[in-house]
Amino acid sequence: MRPPVTPKERSTPEPTPARDGANTPGGTPETASQSSSPSSSESSSAAHEPVTDLSDLSPVRPGRSALAWPGLPLLAALALWVYAVRHTDVSRLDDYGLVTALHPTFWAGLVVLTAGFWCTVRDPRRPGAWAAAYVLGLLVMERATQAVLYPTPLYAWAWKHDAVIDHLLTAGGLQTADQVGDMAVYDQWPGFFAAQAALVRLLGVESSAMFMAWWPLVSSLMLLLPLLLIYRTFTEDRRLIWTAVWLFYVANWVGQDYFSPQSVAYALHVAVLAVVLRRFGRTAVRCGRPRQAVWTVVITLLITAIVISHQLTPGMLVVCLVALCLSRRYRDWVPVVTTVVIFLAWCLTAALPFLSAAMPDMIRSVGDVGANVETGYGATPTGTGAIATSWAARLLSGSVLLLAAAGVLRQRVLRHRARPLLLIAAAPLPMFAASSYGSEMIFRVLLFMLPGAAFFAAAALLPKVRTLDADAADAADAADAAAQAGAGRPAVPARHGLRRFAAWVPPAALLAGTLAFVPAYSGKDRINYFPPQEVALVRQLFDQAPEGSLVVAANRNYPLAYDSYWSVDHYWFLDDARSHVDRIVRDPAATLATDMAGVDRPARAYFLLTQGQLANSEMNGQLTREQLDRIQDSVAASPRFQLVAENGAGWLYVLKQTGGAER
Amino acid sequence: MTPQELVVRMLPPFGGWLALAALALPGGSPLRGAAVALFLAAGPGAALVRVCVPAFAARPAEGPVERRDPDFARHSDLLERLMLTLFLSIGAVMLAATVLIATHTFSAQRVLLTLTLLTTLAAFCPPLRASPPARTTPRTPKGSAP
Repeated sequence: MRPPVTPKERSTPEPTPARDGANTPGGTPETASQSSSPSSSESSSAAHEPVTDLSDLSPVRPGRSALAWPGLPLLAALALWVYAVRHTDVSRLDDYGLVTALHPTFWAGLVVLTAGFWCTVRDPRRPGAWAAAYVLGLLVMERATQAVLYPTPLYAWAWKHDAVIDHLLTAGGLQTADQVGDMAVYDQWPGFFAAQAALVRLLGVESSAMFMAWWPLVSSLMLLLPLLLIYRTFTEDRRLIWTAVWLFYVANWVGQDYFSPQSVAYALHVAVLAVVLRRFGRTAVRCGRPRQAVWTVVITLLITAIVISHQLTPGMLVVCLVALCLSRRYRDWVPVVTTVVIFLAWCLTAALPFLSAAMPDMIRSVGDVGANVETGYGATPTGTGAIATSWAARLLSGSVLLLAAAGVLRQRVLRHRARPLLLIAAAPLPMFAASSYGSEMIFRVLLFMLPGAAFFAAAALLPKVRTLDADAADAADAADAAAQAGAGRPAVPARHGLRRFAAWVPPAALLAGTLAFVPAYSGKDRINYFPPQEVALVRQLFDQAPEGSLVVAANRNYPLAYDSYWSVDHYWFLDDARSHVDRIVRDPAATLATDMAGVDRPARAYFLLTQGQLANSEMNGQLTREQLDRIQDSVAASPRFQLVAENGAGWLYVLKQTGGAER
Repeated sequence: MTPQELVVRMLPPFGGWLALAALALPGGSPLRGAAVALFLAAGPGAALVRVCVPAFAARPAEGPVERRDPDFARHSDLLERLMLTLFLSIGAVMLAATVLIATHTFSAQRVLLTLTLLTTLAAFCPPLRASPPARTTPRTPKGSAP
């Protein structure tokens, strides 16, 4: 048994087998069930609750039927999900994205799944495998629904990453800014893209677009094992472990699970934390057993994979590891030094071109917290649907963080035992002061806080962790209350009703969070989904565009936007200065023709306007639908443009060239 | 070495050679995809973890204060090995592909061959031995010196 670590723990007597007998493996099922089931412990008075803490869930041997019944709600939920995805039409998404498009049985399935999970995870007679099955069911319903429903991959960013992989396969090596301009940044952190390039070729598929729609499910599954390990470092209670995992997944709406380097780097980050929390503590060192050097080698491999893949994640890992060093239990500087050395080595060699160019801006943004948390132009939710889903996301994140704060305040014992997790949850906060990270820092900070925050949020939903000291104090309180009642003070009948009401609050909170995930995660699918016609239209453009051509579009929210970026140039006019955008709105065809005029033959200048651009502009507070329609009408009517292709998802025009190079 | 140990030892390199052989199947074939994905996700990591297991097990991991379930620590260790199998494999794929692409020698077959050779090499490595515990010199109680 692990010796007590702190003076407080040392002063807390360990629970004795005699008092805990019902919960030991040797206890009879009936006794264990009676003594440890949440309902019994909650309905009885505090003085009669079983002593000890949340770990009173020892394995018992129930009958087969009792073992199997959790399968029924799970199967029912999955059946409802299958029915829902077969009866959902995504061809006409409105401003609420998938929320209004989903068949009602999807919501019913989520309710059944959450209710089944709550009942199963709190029942000590159920094997832990059922909780795992429910979490997998949640991942399927949350992260695979879009892959099943939409015929093409979501997110313009995922399509961009597909283009980067295509570039690596075409070039066969890394290139510099002289060759690929701003996109060279991806060649300076190539880990993810190089691995995906190999995978594309090894699978023998045309491109990563063939499988990237399933990446949210894959990257979420990758997080499961490290999350379990982290939580198992601080508690044996599987209610707490699995509820924390559930809350982590429903609160992780920020959309960094798509086909991207950060999705893998984040999973590696959580894995490094799991190894450090389990293997770099000081307990065994104090027992005269030094840490095996092999663990340093293991985290070195994982950290190197992070460093070569993503810019921000190593920084977040450093602050988390430094925060861990604040606790006596984890005051081991080896992981921090290892991360810093590898990170610096990469930044001063392979990533130096990007960093030397970006450093002045990065230095300017240090300390400017207001600007760092501010959303930029073109990121302001506009319209009822966009605003409502944004608020759902904010409320979801705010609720989980509030729950975490409640868990920290309420669970005194856990706050003490899981202090390293509390430090990890708080560690990313100073990053607000470091950089705006393209107006995304607030989401990234939230993401990196989640592993710790979800644990304490789950603790807020579950019974208090108890120690013998606390139990003795409660017994004394109960005795006082009994004495007062005996002295003629009136009992409080409302307390029983309040307790019954309070018992419904945790499952209701879990259900609300699970349901809120859908608008938070899929509420902007009108922006993120590109129908096959839109893909076909853009593909038609790149099939005919000669090398050196220019593609002009409102913004970059369309599929294949970066296709052939090493040979085709782009101009997204909504990224330009506001005065120039106003000029385009006033006199669209003439201004755009002037902007596109500097393209020499045989290259051509194309104007592309698609459904994805319209949705992004409208819902993010750029130009309205009417303004964009006016631009399209103006270009269509202009004799300087010629229609190349048109379908239900957009228009493609080419600027007419007369004689030699048009100016 | 028992037959079971031999199977555990040789399974990862076998998976690598099988994935290489699967490249002969047509592109997009499910069998080819399964063989490649399975090896890339678990092969190199499994070989490394097998080599390191004795060193991993030399010291108990940090765990919860409460110790009720006698199997809890063992299950956690098992989960940890599974996690390392996955993430060391992913890390190895990323590192191998990055090195090849940075040296302009990239091809997918080379990435797979490199990983398979490393996995085969690891399968023939003996397990790492745990480093001996730190020697502590017993203190001489005050006043007991001769």
